[in-house]
Amino acid sequence: MPTIIVLFNDLQRLVGIQLPQDLDDLNEIFSFVKGEVESIDGDELSIEIKDGNRPDLWTVEGLARELRGALRIEDGLKEYAIEAYSGVEILVDSRLKNIRPYIACSIITNVKLNSEAVRELMRLQSKLDLTYGRKRTRTSIGLYNYDLITPPIRYSVAKPDEISFVPLGGVKELSLKEIINIHPKGLEYGYILREKKHWPILLDAKNKILSFPPIINSNDLGRISEGERDIFVEVTGMGYQTVLNTLMIVTLSLADRGEKILSTRIHYSYDDRTQDETPRFKTNNMMLNVSYVNQILGLNLNIQSIIELLKKARYDAYQTDRDTITLTIPCYRFDVMHPIDIVEDIAIKYGYNNIEPRWPQLNTFGSLSNLNVESNLAREVMVGLGFQEVLNFSMSNKSKLYKKMNLKDRNVVEISNPMTLNYNCLRDWLIPSLMEFLSKNSSVEYPQRIFEIDSCYLLDKTKPTGVREGTNLACVCIHSKANFSEMKTVLDAFFLNIGKTYDLREAIFGCFIDGRAGTILVDKVNVGFIGELIPEVLEEWKLENPVIGFEIDLDKVFGKY
Amino acid sequence: MAELHQLEKSLLIALKDGKKINLHTLLKKTKLPYASVARASVWLSSKGYTKIEEVKKSFIKLDSEGKKILKKGLPERILVEAVLKNGGRTLVDIVSTLTELSKDELNVALGWGRRKEWLNFSRENGKMFIIVKEKPAKGIDEQLIEQLSKGSITIDSLTSQQILSLNVLMKRPKIIYRHEDVDRFITLTKLGRTVAKQVKEVGEEISQLSPELIKSGKWRDIRFRKYDIKAPVAKIWAGKKQPYLRFLDDMKQKLVSLGFTEMVGPTVEFMFFNCDALYMPQDHPAREIHDIYYIKSPSHGDLSSYTSLINNVKATHENGWETNSKGWGYSFSLEATKRLILRSQGTALSARMLVDAKLEIPGKYFSIARCYRPDVIDRTHLTEFNHVEGIVLGADLTFKDLLGILKMFAIETAGADKVRFKPDYFPFTEPSVELSAYKADSGWLEFGGAGMFRPEVTLPLGINVPVIAWGLGIDRIFMMKSGISDIRDIFSHDLNWLRSQKVI
Repeated sequence: MPTIIVLFNDLQRLVGIQLPQDLDDLNEIFSFVKGEVESIDGDELSIEIKDGNRPDLWTVEGLARELRGALRIEDGLKEYAIEAYSGVEILVDSRLKNIRPYIACSIITNVKLNSEAVRELMRLQSKLDLTYGRKRTRTSIGLYNYDLITPPIRYSVAKPDEISFVPLGGVKELSLKEIINIHPKGLEYGYILREKKHWPILLDAKNKILSFPPIINSNDLGRISEGERDIFVEVTGMGYQTVLNTLMIVTLSLADRGEKILSTRIHYSYDDRTQDETPRFKTNNMMLNVSYVNQILGLNLNIQSIIELLKKARYDAYQTDRDTITLTIPCYRFDVMHPIDIVEDIAIKYGYNNIEPRWPQLNTFGSLSNLNVESNLAREVMVGLGFQEVLNFSMSNKSKLYKKMNLKDRNVVEISNPMTLNYNCLRDWLIPSLMEFLSKNSSVEYPQRIFEIDSCYLLDKTKPTGVREGTNLACVCIHSKANFSEMKTVLDAFFLNIGKTYDLREAIFGCFIDGRAGTILVDKVNVGFIGELIPEVLEEWKLENPVIGFEIDLDKVFGKY
Repeated sequence: MAELHQLEKSLLIALKDGKKINLHTLLKKTKLPYASVARASVWLSSKGYTKIEEVKKSFIKLDSEGKKILKKGLPERILVEAVLKNGGRTLVDIVSTLTELSKDELNVALGWGRRKEWLNFSRENGKMFIIVKEKPAKGIDEQLIEQLSKGSITIDSLTSQQILSLNVLMKRPKIIYRHEDVDRFITLTKLGRTVAKQVKEVGEEISQLSPELIKSGKWRDIRFRKYDIKAPVAKIWAGKKQPYLRFLDDMKQKLVSLGFTEMVGPTVEFMFFNCDALYMPQDHPAREIHDIYYIKSPSHGDLSSYTSLINNVKATHENGWETNSKGWGYSFSLEATKRLILRSQGTALSARMLVDAKLEIPGKYFSIARCYRPDVIDRTHLTEFNHVEGIVLGADLTFKDLLGILKMFAIETAGADKVRFKPDYFPFTEPSVELSAYKADSGWLEFGGAGMFRPEVTLPLGINVPVIAWGLGIDRIFMMKSGISDIRDIFSHDLNWLRSQKVI
């Protein structure tokens, strides 16, 4: 969930009333706008916005807009309108179609930017690039001092070493290739372009570089400083709608600090798209039934109170018949996909804690899954036999599973994107984890008797996922006089107690001493093995006492396989 | 009669004849070690069975010169025997050459030899000669020195002649050393005599009762060696369930008792159940490699048995399908649904349950599912962990019921005193809520999240009733309960810690 940093005074000024200083009191208010103040550091508030789909709330202006509604300073829809077409045209190169096809732009006049506002603006840009923009792969934002730009603007392409400019905050000219290879932003976002032959570039009529989207602005045009100015906003990206949405969020934020919004015209030369005018502030209408709201919430709200709650949430709403409300959805609420989204807004503005919880009287009988019932029986027997249950990670690595067990590699379920080589596959047997456990406890008093029951993952083409997930039981004992008979005693007792009989067949395993190991059979099915670990393996795990263990597949034992 | 210790009994038997005996004698009679006799005699005396008398006595023993004399003899004897060897007559002037005696010792020897009349002087031709007639008999003083070779003796035990002799010896330097000491005498009191009469002769002592002793009846003739029941013994360790798993067992028990049925399902999961069916768009950040483990091989699985459901889900993502939603508005990839991953959220099991033939409506379901996310393991993060999640289905369920379920969980599973709800967000629920539970000792704790499945989740899977989805953050409850602050300790590799965990 996004966490944003806003300046208290800036927020207070935008909301227009004195806000409480106390954290609990602030949170009381913020709970109406899905926010939770995590910390206050001087003038900076760190606020978690509990909605991953409402970028309009990830800006201080958007939060203030929502708070003004919740606090009844201002009711209903806030109208945003385009004052006029600015006359600025953006010409899009057709070669961008497969690189970064969409652009949307706007101009906001007389934006009053003090140092606080400049900082807020930078934060908004990077927050949207990171989250809604998916680290700039989906959308990225550029802001410019409009006075310095000479339209028309060309959204074009260049080869990596064709163009050079001074990147934002720099002093030296760098080629696009150099920016990608050595500039911090190039290193961070270069992956988006590296595979392409041509890279996007934004220039004005005098061939001055605005930016190298989505990597970095130019230092000449792409720097915003304090003062009252006209701002040119540009958003590029891979999806038409998301580019428009992002532009809208940024434009509205600036509009709340400025005077007029001017539009721009985008000229595409793709087959399916020719011309576009941005930004767009399209509101939508929706019908909402009172009975639907009450049915979802379990409340008995009348139509008037619902309309009031909707207005607090900045919708426009009016009654169209006895049970129906027609409402206008603000242009920035592109998260609203279904009436249910509006119902949540009603509930939030009503106050979750004003709704009386009710335990539903449903006639159901609880039960455990059979799988766990049997695992629990096996656990009970092992505990009764004096073994300590342990819990290990199910992620492992081949070295642990095989090499350190003196076994040949097997094919296992491997992870494409492991965090570390230590955990890059799922274990297909448990004893290596138990050996690791013993190894970490070699200074703890002996004898040690431990067991684990958990899933094991085996490749199996007959399963829809290609993996059979069985439940294994493994146990080991270690002490100076540990021997095969001791463990066979345990095996006998285990099978006696679960009401099964088993046979042992001598077998050879890389990890066990020859002649002291065997396969465990139940109804002639191989269900596991028992054996005394060879000294090579003990040395691998730095153990100085004999270890005997067995491992069985409980699904096979209980005939579930 | 108070219970008597074995040692006390032995002493009482030795004292039975009523004589006053000292510790030394008692040691001989009981054949017990000194410490045992000393201890038991103090016990008996404190019970009033015996009287201990302490008598001060004078003892004598050999001093340094005395020990020398014991080996070589008195100087006067050394002298007379040397003269005898020389024919019984020696010039005084040369007598020093006959022995190793020093000049002082020679003077002492001449003085005492003459006083004891073992030698005479005679002047012949103006020269002095020493005359010894015969070897003198062993004197009383010499006998006393020999007697002292065995250790100290009391002056009381000496004869009057010996005492005279001792007095003489005492005048000579460093031959005899005299000192005072205390001897303890023990006698039975009147009460002690009565008790002693009742004490039976002590029989054979046995440490281990054996089947042979029981069967033969010999146990009647033996007595059991008393144990020091406070002495430390070897440690053993109980077989126990792993404490976190035991905690999960309790959790399951509580959920079952609230009418919930357990769901189980695969860990290696389709992206379809983990995300698509939950209306998470295919470019959702939680589906990226930073948030989900992808399986290397096989990378894709077989979802052919769910084809029609997948088509519903595809249409819902693209345009809302029949759900009255406008959808996400992008082009949905069927191939992406088959991508195999490690389950990243327990809600995948709820999605599977919704399409399971065994689903009952109304119904309550839960799962405790191992889930995986690419995280660096540290004090607060694990790369695999357990989600406690579930769903409740019923035709008349409302948001009120959702809050009621959460409140019940907070009270039943976390022992909360009160609860608080806040808006929250999950891609698959609307409305969504966060649950905070308050306990007097720990304050407010974020304890769970819940919501009502979006119509875009339920309708494509063929569910036409409201579905409440919930999840509980129980790891923090366990950590508080067991006093651990490092989340890795849930998978503890510390056997001492596991052994020391209480079962209550």
